[in-house]
Amino acid sequence: MIRALARLGLFWVVLMAVAGAEFVVSGRHIPAGSRPLLLVFALAMVAVVAFGFMNLGRAPIIAKAFAVAAVFWLIVLFGMGSMDALTRNWYPVQHYSPD
Amino acid sequence: MAEPQLTVEPEFQYSSLFAQAQTAVAGMWLFLAQECVFFGGMILTWVYARYWNEAGFDAGASHTVLWIGSVNVGILVTSSFVFACALLFVRAGQVRLTALALLGVIVLGSVFLLLKGYEWHLDFVAHNWVNDPDFPVKGPLEGGAKLFWTFYWVGTVLHAAHMVVGIGLVAYVLRRTLRRQFTPTYHVPIEVVGIFWGFVDIVWILLWPLIYLIGRLP
Repeated sequence: MIRALARLGLFWVVLMAVAGAEFVVSGRHIPAGSRPLLLVFALAMVAVVAFGFMNLGRAPIIAKAFAVAAVFWLIVLFGMGSMDALTRNWYPVQHYSPD
Repeated sequence: MAEPQLTVEPEFQYSSLFAQAQTAVAGMWLFLAQECVFFGGMILTWVYARYWNEAGFDAGASHTVLWIGSVNVGILVTSSFVFACALLFVRAGQVRLTALALLGVIVLGSVFLLLKGYEWHLDFVAHNWVNDPDFPVKGPLEGGAKLFWTFYWVGTVLHAAHMVVGIGLVAYVLRRTLRRQFTPTYHVPIEVVGIFWGFVDIVWILLWPLIYLIGRLP
């Protein structure tokens, strides 16, 4: 059990380290359009929690299939939801004044 | 004095306790899959609203209480770690350690909610409410900032509601642990509640950058 506890402790240390790195990087002047890249840190933390604490790796195969399905649905959701922003064309128009 | 040994039989439709446990774990993951879509839709609104109102959105985010959001990340990550320890303890037949760990999770979860409540109080005092006439962001950025604060209130209240449910579930398995209803071979309710607790942690891990970090330096 000691080894298993040490393994969990290691996951905790990794999570705190990644969170700390995310916090430090967020304090730097990154262009506003690139700041959502901070989510890469968060996604790494999600993977550690899912596999380290929620035991996804040792879950039954059907549970793993549900987890994969969730990721698939999220890809569809974000893909379809971002379609307008990604495909809209912007055309400059002349300034309109009612006068 | 030796502790009495609990013998648990599987429900009639399962061939073994193992099969019953596998089904319960899979059921929780299916529930979490739909929760992903639920929170995913909310996060999509963040993506969409920030895309069209980047400066205003970040101006709103700069008024959040960064230290509380960040401390709460540490608290929730630690609580997930403690819950994972509880699962180890119950598998090893350590009832008292299991109960202590579950109690620790409840305490950590409650501290999270207390801090969150204090943060909401600070937000109200600072007029960070979309209908407040003294809303701190004025001018062309006001609309985007109000969109951010709408996301903030919906996101944090929904997460807090999940926390309350999670604490209730942990209290339930703690009660059953104290009544010695779990054994090294039968403890699937603790496992299933642990998966839910981990998910609640994951949601906050994602909300933390969305709410506090990305718009930290507008």
